[in-house]
Amino acid sequence: MSESSATTRRGLLLAAPAVVPVVVVLAGSLGAALLQSVGLMPFAGPATFTLEPWTGNAGELARSAAVSLYIAAASTLLAGTVGFAAAAYILAMPRTGRLVAAVSAATIPIPHLIGAGAVGLLLSDAGFLARILGMPDGGFPTFVGGPFWSAVIFEYAWKESAFVALVIVGSLARSVGGLCDAAATLGAAPLQRITHVVLPLALPALAVSGLIVFVYTLGSYEVPWLLGRISPEALPVRAVRLFGSIDLDSRPQAMVTVLLSVLAGAAAIIGGLILLRRMRGLR
Amino acid sequence: MPGGGAGRVLIGLLLVLWFTLPMVPVALWAVAGRWHAPAILPQTYSWEGWSAAASSGLFPALLASALLGAGVAVLATPLGFLAAVSIRRLPRRYARPVEGILLAPLAIPPFALVMGMNVVLLRAHVPAAGGVLLLLVVTALPYTVFMFRSALAGYDDRFEEAARSLGASKAQSIRHVRLPLLTAATSRAAFLAFLVGWGDYIVTLIVGGGQLRTLPMTLASAASATGNEQLTAVLSLTVVLPPLALLTALLLTRRHGRIR
Repeated sequence: MSESSATTRRGLLLAAPAVVPVVVVLAGSLGAALLQSVGLMPFAGPATFTLEPWTGNAGELARSAAVSLYIAAASTLLAGTVGFAAAAYILAMPRTGRLVAAVSAATIPIPHLIGAGAVGLLLSDAGFLARILGMPDGGFPTFVGGPFWSAVIFEYAWKESAFVALVIVGSLARSVGGLCDAAATLGAAPLQRITHVVLPLALPALAVSGLIVFVYTLGSYEVPWLLGRISPEALPVRAVRLFGSIDLDSRPQAMVTVLLSVLAGAAAIIGGLILLRRMRGLR
Repeated sequence: MPGGGAGRVLIGLLLVLWFTLPMVPVALWAVAGRWHAPAILPQTYSWEGWSAAASSGLFPALLASALLGAGVAVLATPLGFLAAVSIRRLPRRYARPVEGILLAPLAIPPFALVMGMNVVLLRAHVPAAGGVLLLLVVTALPYTVFMFRSALAGYDDRFEEAARSLGASKAQSIRHVRLPLLTAATSRAAFLAFLVGWGDYIVTLIVGGGQLRTLPMTLASAASATGNEQLTAVLSLTVVLPPLALLTALLLTRRHGRIR
């Protein structure tokens, strides 16, 4: 007993240098955001409790939340689809797949800020794609800052599909080859091997990476800031704008937006984990 | 794949195009001189973008970003290793909450962490650079912990026991058995942590308060204004190329090691 409690104490001491800063930052940031959002930690002047920042702009806040959820859902769907296709290709085509694996892996270390700048050069109305298609003046759809957030969704789908592919290939690389060979010996066509062997095996990795992509895109600032519309705004863009405003009343509203984003992310994670557990139960 | 050989190649080409196309205009703009609207390719080529970048503070920004990335890697890698060892040793009822806390920053958007924490850092009189470093280390820890967790999961203590029973001292077994086996995980963890600092924008923007001019800060001010295509492209390449070179070097040394 005493030996095991000594081991436990030593183990906790080993973890402490990592755990302490994480706890300080999590508690500090969420606590300060909560206090500021109800007027208890004002920038200047006396502290008075108020729910006005939460209720005052509820309509605008709801529109921002809807925009963020739409961007996250569309990006996750596209990234999952293309990412799975890329993973299936990499796993099924040992030789040409290597090139796809290399270019998708090279996409991963590119920060989203750079990705957003690149997509701006590609998709803006006099951008590279408009020039290739020969329609620089008029006729080219408004992707950057357009009504459907297409440039934002494209950037996320592009970068995150590489991530999805990496996760799926990593989880399947050892198991899938033999099973595909067996299916081929039994007469399965290539497409059948993908839908009946690779897809069911890839489903857990696809679901986990999809959840990560959804939560990430929900809370990411740079891409909707550079490529999105000004109104309605995505949640992170709204929060940063209110935070930087010289009007001191907007600071509590910024914190409401922060906490709403955190809650939306947490709800997505909990919902996603419940779904994942059900999926495992079904098999 | 449907459609036989040609179909397979076509799908492969479409996938390669999907992953590479967004960076093509960046590469072209970085060396373009004059490139007016209907032209598909630049009309003239020049190093204008590079000299514009040099005069808008490219080198100090490069140094600031490299230092920030290195600082995050130097702190988050050993802390992640210690935490992963501790999670492996602790009884389950302690290990699970410790792991949960260390992975939690992944669930919270970086802008939310930063905006809440900003006032705390100000009231505690933490200098801007220290605050940025603290927040980025916390952001990087889930990755380094995860990397070492998966490396240690496949690590067998009996390797070291075997070395000891063959007469190696404790120090020798650590140096010749444990370290080589953990080198790959260490370099991967350090690389990810470096990327967190190297590519960060939002933490530097809000906590740094304009004092820290890193590469992404310089890039963002170029990219958000119009008519800066060359500068944006050059700065993008200086952000993207060093980590890619580092990654390639890592992969090559690992392959070299495997051959031996």
